[in-house]
Amino acid sequence: MADDREAQADFGRRRPAEPAPAVTPPDRSASKRSQTVSTVLVASAGLAALGLGSLDRTAPSKDVLVYVDAAACAADGIRPADECRSDYATARAAYPSTAPHYGSSPECEGHHGTSHCQPDPNAPTQFVPRMAGYLLGRRAADWVTPEPVYDHRQGHGGHDGSYCTGSGGKVSTGSGGHASSAKLKPAAAKATSFGGFGGSGKSFSSFGSS
Amino acid sequence: MRRFACGERPGWREIAREAGFAFHTIDGAPYWDESHAYAFTLTEIEEVIEAPSAELHALCLAFAADAVEDERILASLAIPEPVRDTVRASWRRGDPSLYGRLDFSYGGSGPAKLLEYNADTPTALYETAVFQWLWLDQGLAEGRLPAGSDQFNAVHERLIARLGEIAPPGLFAFAADSSGPEDLGTAGYLQDCAVQAGCETILLDLGQIGLRADGAFCGPDERPFAGLFKLYPWEWAFQDAFGPAVAAAPTRFLEPPWKMVLSNKGLLAHLWAREPGHPNLLPAYFEGDPACASLGAFVRKPLLSREGANVEMFSAEGTRLAGEPGPYGTEGYIRQGLAELPFFDGRRPLLGAWIVGDAPAGLCIRESEGPITGDGALFVPHLIEPA
Repeated sequence: MADDREAQADFGRRRPAEPAPAVTPPDRSASKRSQTVSTVLVASAGLAALGLGSLDRTAPSKDVLVYVDAAACAADGIRPADECRSDYATARAAYPSTAPHYGSSPECEGHHGTSHCQPDPNAPTQFVPRMAGYLLGRRAADWVTPEPVYDHRQGHGGHDGSYCTGSGGKVSTGSGGHASSAKLKPAAAKATSFGGFGGSGKSFSSFGSS
Repeated sequence: MRRFACGERPGWREIAREAGFAFHTIDGAPYWDESHAYAFTLTEIEEVIEAPSAELHALCLAFAADAVEDERILASLAIPEPVRDTVRASWRRGDPSLYGRLDFSYGGSGPAKLLEYNADTPTALYETAVFQWLWLDQGLAEGRLPAGSDQFNAVHERLIARLGEIAPPGLFAFAADSSGPEDLGTAGYLQDCAVQAGCETILLDLGQIGLRADGAFCGPDERPFAGLFKLYPWEWAFQDAFGPAVAAAPTRFLEPPWKMVLSNKGLLAHLWAREPGHPNLLPAYFEGDPACASLGAFVRKPLLSREGANVEMFSAEGTRLAGEPGPYGTEGYIRQGLAELPFFDGRRPLLGAWIVGDAPAGLCIRESEGPITGDGALFVPHLIEPA
């Protein structure tokens, strides 16, 4: 499906490396007209593909690692200890500003489970989930931004994942696999809408005058 | 200015087919007609068409600068209130324009008279810039046209240069109603120019345009457009579901929203009020203005109309002389002094002077049988007589 999408996206698109054939007449000395005009209209050959059916609008899941802290990460041995520490530091630093905020303790516990919440030290009328751990990529080359994860109350929001992220991503640790292996499913983005232009008129040319 | 028979190039339809000029015949009726042509002197081109076009375009820009800051002017143009901030913002931001076409009545004597400014969605562009150019080029090469003939037509290279100047970095989309071969041909031609200007481009139907959650317009693959050329009038676009999203979109449009104040027949009344007696302007007033009584024979034009639709012609006594039906007119009308199109062998040519960027760039001529140039008019090429 991904390949279909690629092919469709490129249909109808031209890149600068494909200039239209040009005709350069010899001995041009006239002053009021173009010196060179490409006379073959290549670009009109293809409209962008009309079909939207093959578009997968759901964000793909990513394979990630989840640990309670840098020591657990280092002990697991999948990522080097220094990377475990620096990624933990990144996630820990992001925690105060990216943790989801709730107006009451019951509201917070509704999402994250009993005794998993605390008042925000910087805004004591609000409640934030405790940082349950952090997620990071399986390899540095995966370019996963390390971030805090929070406990997720079983079944809340129709999601049985073990953890969640501050932006609403779902983190599911595998049942049969290694305990630290997890899948991160980012929160669904609001969908792009189509068909909002062209409803008010049909084809026209606009030369007419009197 | 004269009209002369030159005879068709043998096999021009084949040449058109190879070039991708698909709409030389529309619904079985001819559109491109090279059995004859118009000839101008260089002085005519430069002094009667080119210089006044530059001056009128400059007057239009000065008017636009005032109009966007003046609610009364925007109201007189029937630009809806929710749209005005978008129009104003696009002007203040300096959003560049690409092109437009000033339409003139001129028959070989006296000054050319401006009939209207197609400033938002002009067509007849490809046939002007490319196929008309090729007609002259081949006619000269084959000795069928007088040696040393020229043409007022730098449209092609000026479009490429202008697109190179103003294209924002990123994907540049060209959109039209793809069910109209002429519309699609115009958008496809401009896409071609943009490719030659070094842009990455995509051509698509208006209905394929998407609006992303982040506010950017995009194509079917949801990649955001940095620029979007739409061959679709702003007054329609703003009525569409995506209309309200234009204001906050990072996508830059061609033509920009401020072109709405020029692509409106109310412009003609405002220009006359600002420059009364200008040799290239006809007296024009909004309907309801008592000054309309001073016009003599006049033409009644809807503020927003295309292809001559809903245009009516009246004698000084108020007798209706001619008229074209159509769906326009609810926004109001202007009345403009009548400048009849000239007669040449029973045909009435209308001169279209192209503006690219802010400078005149070329000429096209369309011929009709009746006094109002409509969508059935023929495209007829022109040349500049050898010195």
